[in-house]
Amino acid sequence: MAALSIENVKKSYGSTQVLKGINIDIEKGEFLVLIGPSGCGKSTMMNSIAGLESISEGRILIGGKDVTHANPKDRDIAMVFQSYALYPNMTVRGNISFGLEVRKMPKPEREKQVQKVAQLLQIEHLLDRKPAQLSGGQRQRVAMGRALAREPKIYLFDEPLSNLDAKLRVEMRAEIKKLHQRLGTTIVYVTHDQVEAMTLADRIAVMRDGLLQQLASPQEVYDRPANLFVAGFMGSPPMNFIDVTIQNSDSLIISDTEQHQLPIPEGYDLSSYIGKKVILGIRPEMITEPLQHKADLREVCVLKLKTLLTEAMGADTMVLTQLGEKELNCRINPGHQVQMNQYSDFMFDMSKAVFFDPQTENLI
Amino acid sequence: MKKTYNLSYSANGTKNLSLLGSVKDKANRYLQQRSIVQHLLRILLYSVLLFMALIYLLPLLVMVMNSLKDVEEIRNGSLLALPKDPSLAAWAKAWGSACTGSTCEGIAPFFINSFKIVLPAVAISTILGALNGYVLSMWRFKGSDLFFGLLLFGCFIPFQVVLIPMAMTLGWLGLASSASGLILVHVIYGMAFTTLFFRNYYVGLPRELISAAKIDGAGFFLIFWRIILPLSPPIIVVTVIWQFTQIWNDFLFGVVFSGADNLPVTVALNNLVNTSFGGKEYNVDMAAALLAALPTIVVYVFAGKYFVRGLSAGAVKGA
Repeated sequence: MAALSIENVKKSYGSTQVLKGINIDIEKGEFLVLIGPSGCGKSTMMNSIAGLESISEGRILIGGKDVTHANPKDRDIAMVFQSYALYPNMTVRGNISFGLEVRKMPKPEREKQVQKVAQLLQIEHLLDRKPAQLSGGQRQRVAMGRALAREPKIYLFDEPLSNLDAKLRVEMRAEIKKLHQRLGTTIVYVTHDQVEAMTLADRIAVMRDGLLQQLASPQEVYDRPANLFVAGFMGSPPMNFIDVTIQNSDSLIISDTEQHQLPIPEGYDLSSYIGKKVILGIRPEMITEPLQHKADLREVCVLKLKTLLTEAMGADTMVLTQLGEKELNCRINPGHQVQMNQYSDFMFDMSKAVFFDPQTENLI
Repeated sequence: MKKTYNLSYSANGTKNLSLLGSVKDKANRYLQQRSIVQHLLRILLYSVLLFMALIYLLPLLVMVMNSLKDVEEIRNGSLLALPKDPSLAAWAKAWGSACTGSTCEGIAPFFINSFKIVLPAVAISTILGALNGYVLSMWRFKGSDLFFGLLLFGCFIPFQVVLIPMAMTLGWLGLASSASGLILVHVIYGMAFTTLFFRNYYVGLPRELISAAKIDGAGFFLIFWRIILPLSPPIIVVTVIWQFTQIWNDFLFGVVFSGADNLPVTVALNNLVNTSFGGKEYNVDMAAALLAALPTIVVYVFAGKYFVRGLSAGAVKGA
């Protein structure tokens, strides 16, 4: 039985449809990340699960129970907000125990629960402070503590890390992951940060314009994106898209230049596309400087590309190159030198290349 | 070749420097002149402001001075002269024995009448305003903005317009000429303002607070009581001062709706000033007027800084 089932959920504001039929099943203990550009409906989806907004059509089940029309308090969920939404007039202790108090838990038990949660999140020394006296990271912990104290069936996180500075965000991200592994909780997490999505999720749900684009494990979303949108959205810098024509079952030719030939990876059957145009998707890390140990592989090919820009990232150097009219992102070893505005050799590793149908924009 | 280049370079450099120096001198002189002018302007500004403040305070000063004189001194001397022999006799008479119409008990009994009307009216209208504002900002319903817009009309309806309908309504309710009737009138008339104050303050609070509390399991009144009200003191102070001042100083509703037994102090003051046996006692009139104004002044002195703070508090997010 799924911990949370979202069945054909639709939501409209007047004539604008925000959610256009979403179907998601989440297993108990699963960490699901909802990701998408702003306005894609992910926050609306989250609020609908929480019961803060009503849906126009469809059903929402939590633990097998239909909660489509239930009040937020009867859904057995807890939520961590982007702004934390801590009660400013209460101490940290008050914030954490408020939900328990409302649910009429006796005081000694309440106190025990607060201690337990505070210990877990290492905020015991802050219990008597007001939210205004806390730093951003501490507030974040308290907001999580408030959610944890009630031990609900499902935790909802609404962009919880977006108000933190970069360093703290990485720390808290690891913290959330550890907590999830330790407590085995079911979590739905909304974000627009694809690094958060990749690192945290068991499964990622990519949304756009109120439609689910892909629901799969992070690695699958990265390696085999369902369509052009997902391919371009996940990964930074984004995947390169090149218009190509399929020559035969083994090779293709780049449409712009008519002279560059690339191998088609094994396991890809493009026989029905021979002579037709398709879109090749290749990640920047698959276009590198020539590597000795790969040179003999069948799926590898070296092309000359003009370098337009280099960006040293430390671990890698990102190179913007030109191929015909197209600009390509490549990722090379920082030890390798390329000359600006000169043609140099770049190695295309096609083993993880993907192809999209130019009409439907879907993965072939 | 290289040497000459160097030389010409340094020559150029000095030239540039001296040019820079003369520009600096000019700038300094300009700044000095400017600061003198600014200084003079500042003095002028303060003199104007002080003069205006004096003009504004003059009537109060005249009232205080004359309330400390006796009648003879006022009649023979100038209104603007300082009292020769200050005494509080006029104040005592205004408070306890001056005649207001047919009775001669001073304005003390009417003070109590006023408090009996003002305190419940302020309390009820503030509570209702807080609840209205809470609903209109955090629990919006279809048409709530229209509702709020219509409610705001209440702020602009002149007193005179509602007198007759109000009198008829109070008659139907059996509240004509009673303190409760007058309280009802003030509550209704004040509610537009109090709702406006609270609504605009609550709009500035993050709505996620309400969402969080809803998920925590709290209902409408519990959220109001435990989350919203504890964040409200600044706006409560503003509303209480506003309502207290308005209702305390009201004359028209008081004279029309209160009936003979519940006359507020403003009406009594009017009667006192208009009642004269023999000569006019300006000193008593002025003492009575000051007494009648005292409560609002006291409220403002004690809570004024919260008033100013609260008026701008709505603009600042959170609390």
